Amino acid sequence: MTELLRIEDLHVSFKTDDGVVRAVDGVSLTLNAGETVAIVGESGSGKTVTSLSVMGLHKKGQAEISGSISLSDHGTFKDVVHLSDDEIREIRGRAVSMIFQDPMSSLHPYYKIGNQLAEAYLVHNRGKKKEAMARALEMLDLVGIPEPAKRAQEFPHQFSGGMRQRVMIAMALMNSPQILIADEPTTALDVTVQAQILALLSKLKKEFNMGILLITHDLGVVAQVADRVNVMYAGRIVEEGPVDDIFYSPLAPYTLGLLKSVPRVSKNNERLKAIPGQPPSLINLPVGCPFAPRCEYKQHSSEAGCNTTRPALLGTSSTHRSRCHVPENLRHELFANELKEVQG
Amino acid sequence: MLKFIGRRAAFAAMTILIVSAVVFGIFSFLPFDPASLTCGQRCTDQIVEANRVRLGFDKPIYEQYWLFLSGIFAGRTYGAGSAAFTCPAPSFGYSFNENACVTDMIREALPITISLAIGALILWLMVGIGLGIIAAKFKNRWPDTSSSVFVLLATSLPTFVTGLALLIWVSIKWKLVPLSLTGYTSLIDNPYKFMQYFILPWITLAIAYAAIYTRFTRAALLETLGEDYIRTARAKGVGERVVFFKHTLRAVLAPLVTLAGLDFAGLIGGAIITETIFNLPGLGRLTLRSVYEFDLAVVLATTILAAVVVIVMNLIVDMLYAVLDPRVRIV
Amino acid sequence: MSSRFALRRTVVVASASALLLGTVLVSGSNVATAATTPKTGGILTFLEHEPRLDHLDPARIYTGRDLAFMNSFHTRTLVAYNPVPGAAGANLVPDLATNTGVPSNSAKTWKFTLRPGTKFEDGAPITCKDVQYGSSRVFAQDVINNGPTYMLSWLDIPKDKDGNSIYVGPYKSTPEAQAAYEKAVSCSKDNRTITFQLNKSIADFNYLATYGVISPVQKKKDTGDKYDLNPQATGPYKIVENSKTQLRMVRNSNWSKASDPVRTPYPDEVIIQFGLDEEVIDQIMLEDTIPTAMNFGGPLPTNKDKFFTDSKFQKRRMNNSDPYAIYIAFNVKAMPCLEIRQAMYYSRNAKALLDYAGGPTYAGSYATGVISPLVAADYAPTKVVGPGSPDFMPEGNVTKAKALMETAKTKCPADYKKATEDGITLDVRQSVTLNDTIPINEAAYGRAGIKVKWNIISSGYYSTVMNPEKQKDMSASGWGADWANASTVIPELFASFGGFNLSQNSADPAYKAFEDKVNLAMKTTDRKKQAAIWKELDAYAMKQMWVLPTTFGKAQEIWGSQISGVFFWVPQGNPAYGKMWINN
Repeated sequence: MTELLRIEDLHVSFKTDDGVVRAVDGVSLTLNAGETVAIVGESGSGKTVTSLSVMGLHKKGQAEISGSISLSDHGTFKDVVHLSDDEIREIRGRAVSMIFQDPMSSLHPYYKIGNQLAEAYLVHNRGKKKEAMARALEMLDLVGIPEPAKRAQEFPHQFSGGMRQRVMIAMALMNSPQILIADEPTTALDVTVQAQILALLSKLKKEFNMGILLITHDLGVVAQVADRVNVMYAGRIVEEGPVDDIFYSPLAPYTLGLLKSVPRVSKNNERLKAIPGQPPSLINLPVGCPFAPRCEYKQHSSEAGCNTTRPALLGTSSTHRSRCHVPENLRHELFANELKEVQG
Repeated sequence: MLKFIGRRAAFAAMTILIVSAVVFGIFSFLPFDPASLTCGQRCTDQIVEANRVRLGFDKPIYEQYWLFLSGIFAGRTYGAGSAAFTCPAPSFGYSFNENACVTDMIREALPITISLAIGALILWLMVGIGLGIIAAKFKNRWPDTSSSVFVLLATSLPTFVTGLALLIWVSIKWKLVPLSLTGYTSLIDNPYKFMQYFILPWITLAIAYAAIYTRFTRAALLETLGEDYIRTARAKGVGERVVFFKHTLRAVLAPLVTLAGLDFAGLIGGAIITETIFNLPGLGRLTLRSVYEFDLAVVLATTILAAVVVIVMNLIVDMLYAVLDPRVRIV
Repeated sequence: MSSRFALRRTVVVASASALLLGTVLVSGSNVATAATTPKTGGILTFLEHEPRLDHLDPARIYTGRDLAFMNSFHTRTLVAYNPVPGAAGANLVPDLATNTGVPSNSAKTWKFTLRPGTKFEDGAPITCKDVQYGSSRVFAQDVINNGPTYMLSWLDIPKDKDGNSIYVGPYKSTPEAQAAYEKAVSCSKDNRTITFQLNKSIADFNYLATYGVISPVQKKKDTGDKYDLNPQATGPYKIVENSKTQLRMVRNSNWSKASDPVRTPYPDEVIIQFGLDEEVIDQIMLEDTIPTAMNFGGPLPTNKDKFFTDSKFQKRRMNNSDPYAIYIAFNVKAMPCLEIRQAMYYSRNAKALLDYAGGPTYAGSYATGVISPLVAADYAPTKVVGPGSPDFMPEGNVTKAKALMETAKTKCPADYKKATEDGITLDVRQSVTLNDTIPINEAAYGRAGIKVKWNIISSGYYSTVMNPEKQKDMSASGWGADWANASTVIPELFASFGGFNLSQNSADPAYKAFEDKVNLAMKTTDRKKQAAIWKELDAYAMKQMWVLPTTFGKAQEIWGSQISGVFFWVPQGNPAYGKMWINN
């Protein structure tokens, strides 16, 4: 497996009038070619901030970034955190591309689709206008847009939501990047369209031998396409592991909570089991485990109190690790039972 | 497109008809007698009656209105005997205060107001958008702060204060711009004199508007900079300069054009204060004087003209908007 | 001059001691430069706030300033005032005529013989027919309005049953009416002598001949209304531009010095710049930005001190009486009780109002009647009201006012009730100063227990108050003599046949005796005897309190450093514009 991206101990904080927001607090993860790695979490958990850091899209002076983001620029590794603006810009859209949640607002309403696509190519290949347009049509065709030559002359508002997202994907692939960051790529779409887009992404992943970093809050999407999963809460990864491990034997109480809150068709027609309480403020994180205030399993924890110490990311397996003060074996048992109960 | 213009033209004609009827109605129900205003003291009933006939106020209101409308297409004759005369079509009436056909008066005043408005428009767009761009580009840094000081000053100073101050200090005290008393010279006849004549009025008007446009441009740019598609552009690797001057500025253009079009229409209706201070015999002064003197024919004509300008500018703005914003389609 | 314009430049005054024109009220005129030889050339500019002159048509001009201006430069009349300083300025001199008019038939017939060699600006010689035609235009009152209308009542033309002249001007009269006019105003066979037949003796008819209302107009050039825009010049300057921004006059090549004993045209061009902001005009004067310009309307009240306390303006300023007497007319029909009228006079706070208007320095002096000191021969303090009268107090004589009200309470109880309970209504013209003056007035009248209400008229002021049905109890007004004879004041304001009678006093028991005296005065050709009667009648009107006299006005003039030869010209109460010259 070729490693494409290695994030190590990434910290991102923002200075605001109310105080310092620690949006990402020591995140580490890797992404390999041909693999889809998901980052799952609620809004504000730091998943998007992490992805924007990889793109180098945080404004200097506004965001305080430390740690390292080692990114393969077609074989050569570069640390995004320490690159200059121009150097990052040079990588952006070429070595790493990104697609966004709302395909309507993510496309410029005043420019033709073809031109917007071509621009992505031209930025990195100056002056090659003909080539850029040819490439644009090729990519439109590739993402399944019929009559690409005609549609390239149209404006975003003339496309449906799903088609727009296809356009976004086509645009992201203009320079055949190795890494694709997909930030909630299907959230704004109909369920049927969602499946098509996900299938398209999978297909393209293979075709381009890309690594996809999938940012989502939707466990259904994760189950469908991810190989590995990182669950984030309050700026930290609280559990990481292969997709099956996460779904069938979750180890973090938060992950369990997420799984339990997924709506299902059930006989007894009960209400969703939402996680009680609200995520903590990233300005004033609790001293102990950030999830402690919402956690139902605190009483099972050992002497290292949930309210006083932050749990480390640990695991008996090298691929499946989590943060919790409750002993791992106890969690195995407790959580498996609960899952059974919920999933019937 | 043709259908669109046709429908809007019909709408415009309807509006003008309604506006003129309303203005006509208002004047006919006002509690004063226009005929008695035409003679000073020693006003006998006989003279008032004679004037009433001469002005056409003796006829029923609908007939007066019909005469007014038909005058637009056929011209109109006033007076009787050897003192009779005709205002040729399109006649918008006759001003007994100025002894002139209203159409001629407007024909004289219009170039001045248009010159004033266009010059001021160019100036304030340049200054306003320029400062707005600088303020947005250097948000919260000194260029931004200084531009907000300008905005605050310019919006809090009334036009008559800035205008009078410019005229008195720049022209009279410092003698930087020669005092222009001799009247309007067209741009083609003498560009230098034209500029001299209009420069201070342009600045006066532009200051007030530039402040509004600075604020508007800055806010619109900053809002656009937060749009998803700007993030997309950056994600493509587009440089900051291009992001700002192409992607962001382009999006701000359409609302700016709308604003400018409507402000421009307002100015044609009359930059009354500026025209008064600088003694520009444009539509604003004409309107003001005619209101003061109850010169009904002129008030009627200028009101209709203002309505026409607003309608036409709206039409132009709508068409421009359709060109600038592909989401808007003319149907 | 018409009262309509009396308040163009507010205010008044003449010091009470100014009895003789020769001593009048002129301070700081540039006597020094007047002595040097005037130079020819340059552009003389007048800066004006108003958007235009009210009229240029000679038959329609009626304000002193505009008359003085147009007659100095553009329009020649049969006779003219002598443009010299001092009392001699009011003397008549021949202009288009070779004499100042020859009366006969007890001044019912007046003859003027035209000077040869006079021309219109198009080169056409001026003939008697032109004067005859020009003089007929005023009869078309629906077209040629706003001018003096004496001709309509004086000319010997038959009247219809309503008392109006059957002749309605040259535009649409019947041939019979036209013939009647041409009988009253006729030309000699040689077309050089014009004869006016009057229906009564008018000893000072020739003064009317200083007005353009009797002046030549070519029939073929008469455009009715529009003649006002560009009347044919007969004087040394002709109009080349009359626009919204300026009136520009250049030398008239068809005028010759030889044919004009009155005018001395010094500048090459004369221009009035219209529509300038008043503050801007004052700033131009303060900075001397245009040294060849004069402020045509006088400085703003707020700037007067800047000009009149700084010695650097000593040769560029003039502070003089204006020709107006300001008063508030009583509608005697609505206010028949003499005591209440008098109580209003005595309770009014004249000092507070005068001070508000600029004080004695700029605003004027307390009026002693309706005849202004500028009408020198006919002026004398009446000793009934104002300075010199026993009960006059500038701040109001409240004791006297209260006593008068006491008398009224028993003598005319209905009127007393109206004054104290319902309130007396004053017609006033809408103005920015009302907010300040209304409280002063209400407080003052209130001291005598009199309640006042206000009828604020925003447009058509005089056409409203001149209408007996619309006039309220009192109407603010002002009047200046049309020429230096109170015959243009006393009968105009108080006779039932007067042109500007706001007092409606013919029903007053005291009226009959008054009218008899007026008729006597008008017949009296001995000017001294006539003057004595006018003085007596002024006092009589004050005794009857037909009007409440307030002030004799005052006006200020400011001009640029390169203008010389400015002096106060008595008859119109303005500088003699035609004598000004550029000294660079």
